[in-house]
Amino acid sequence: MKRGTLLPGLATFVVCALVLFPIWWMLVTAVAQPDDIRAFPPVFVPTHPSFAAFHTILFDRPMLRWIMNSLIVAGLSTALTMVLGVLGGYALSRFSSRVVRAAGMSVLLAKMIPTTLLVIPLYVLFREYGLLATLTSAALAHCTVTIPFAIWMLKAYFDSIPAELEEAAAIDGTTPLGALWRIVLPVSLPGLGATALYAFILSWNEFAFSRTLLFSEPSNWTVTIGIASIRGEYIISWNEIMAASAIVAVPIIIVFLWLERYLVVGLTAGAQK
Amino acid sequence: MAVAARSGWRLWRPSARGWLGVLLMGPSAIVVAFLIIYPLACALDLSFQKIRITRVGAARLPFTLDNYSRALASDDFWNAALVSLGFVILVTLGCFIVGVGCALLVNQRFPGRRIARLLVALPWAVPEVVAATIWAWMFDGSFGVINWMLLKLGLVNAPVAWLSQPHEAFAVCTIALIWSGYPFVAVMALAGLQAIPGELYEAAQMDGARAWQRFRHVTLPALRPVCAIALVLVVLRVVRDFATVFVITGGGPVGATRSLAVYTYEQAFSFYNIGYAAAVGLITLALCAAFSGMVVRKTVAP
Repeated sequence: MKRGTLLPGLATFVVCALVLFPIWWMLVTAVAQPDDIRAFPPVFVPTHPSFAAFHTILFDRPMLRWIMNSLIVAGLSTALTMVLGVLGGYALSRFSSRVVRAAGMSVLLAKMIPTTLLVIPLYVLFREYGLLATLTSAALAHCTVTIPFAIWMLKAYFDSIPAELEEAAAIDGTTPLGALWRIVLPVSLPGLGATALYAFILSWNEFAFSRTLLFSEPSNWTVTIGIASIRGEYIISWNEIMAASAIVAVPIIIVFLWLERYLVVGLTAGAQK
Repeated sequence: MAVAARSGWRLWRPSARGWLGVLLMGPSAIVVAFLIIYPLACALDLSFQKIRITRVGAARLPFTLDNYSRALASDDFWNAALVSLGFVILVTLGCFIVGVGCALLVNQRFPGRRIARLLVALPWAVPEVVAATIWAWMFDGSFGVINWMLLKLGLVNAPVAWLSQPHEAFAVCTIALIWSGYPFVAVMALAGLQAIPGELYEAAQMDGARAWQRFRHVTLPALRPVCAIALVLVVLRVVRDFATVFVITGGGPVGATRSLAVYTYEQAFSFYNIGYAAAVGLITLALCAAFSGMVVRKTVAP
């Protein structure tokens, strides 16, 4: 092997080891024996993994309930986001006019609004309408993050589909909505899947809105509130906290490794504008 | 059938297209108006009232600029602004050094490059709250792995109580923010690097440019537009961050990590100064908008 190819490979290996260490450390702590947590020197490779912490966190703490709540909130916000995102993205891609573009751009500006600012009026409004501390309130709040990004990610995807398909259908008498439903959506399934997944992940990971809107009702906590709170709420070991963290993070990490190609499109969607 | 065909066709005509677009965008626009624009207007309205959370729902209080003048005269506000500025400078710098460095690295040709590209961006997939929790554990004052490493290397003589000292806590938050922020820069920079035509490098090499000169005169200028976008998004992310700092330190100790976002939250939901918090949040938003506008104008019209 040439020196020219070995050196970057080696450097990359070292960099990867450094930046991935925190993830490794989470997993090691999660499966460590309780005594290993306080071991000096620390145990870097678990030789006798123990899954007791997973058992405790899943069955002796409200973790399953938090997971359920997160799934419901993320499911609701993803469903709403996809319906609106498909229509808005299609409008931007095929029926763009000055008004539509202005709407699309202004939606992007939502990225500038601090969550801690937006959550104040949302808290007040949700309280007024009796939605405060319900899963619906969190799902709606998450939509302020997911809708803008979904519109732009889907626009980029629809742009990659040739308009000739719909033009042919138009001559056959299909309405634009019919063409969207019967021609564009079926060939966009990968893009729709990636967008939905991304929206789901954004909602699953969200903390500031959830914590503010749901904190007063522990039975409605999501996983992120749970993890952030178990450090203080319960007398708990780092084993359990890292086990809970792993349960929340590992599915997302797997999805990322599996679908990175599609998700990176979303990461940079709207950024090009 | 003929009628249906004709009416369907008519909808596709240019005269109808504009309306169709507006119609399709309509639902999103309405929801965004209800969930973002109307609430923002409410926040603006609240910021002009001396209002506490218990008073919400009661009659509107008289118009006042008191919240803004109080913020601008408050030491806590300026401290928060300074903390946010510190985070923005250090975290942005860190994200760009690590991110662009990683992108340059995995842009080289070597076996396993595809996997390396995946792994280098992996911290992005870790939820912020989880990332913050992991860093809090690694920097734990008694059993944290970082303390062990530093002791082992002989850099410190006794375990450091990272999270209960101002500068140390600030450093921990900075590191956590860089760790979750750099993958975005890496992905953007890598996309920018791949868009540079190889001929440019060949031409530079023919002209006798050394490696550093090629980097300085070919790579950097080509990355400029991508980096400008990344810069805006990274800065916005740091200013708006709440989860990382709140989970690691809660804004403490003695306000050393209390950024504008944490300060806004604290004022609103710990002290119930709703009007004041809205004013602080809106000042933050104005700063974000001014910064983004400045960078975008500089890069769009060079």
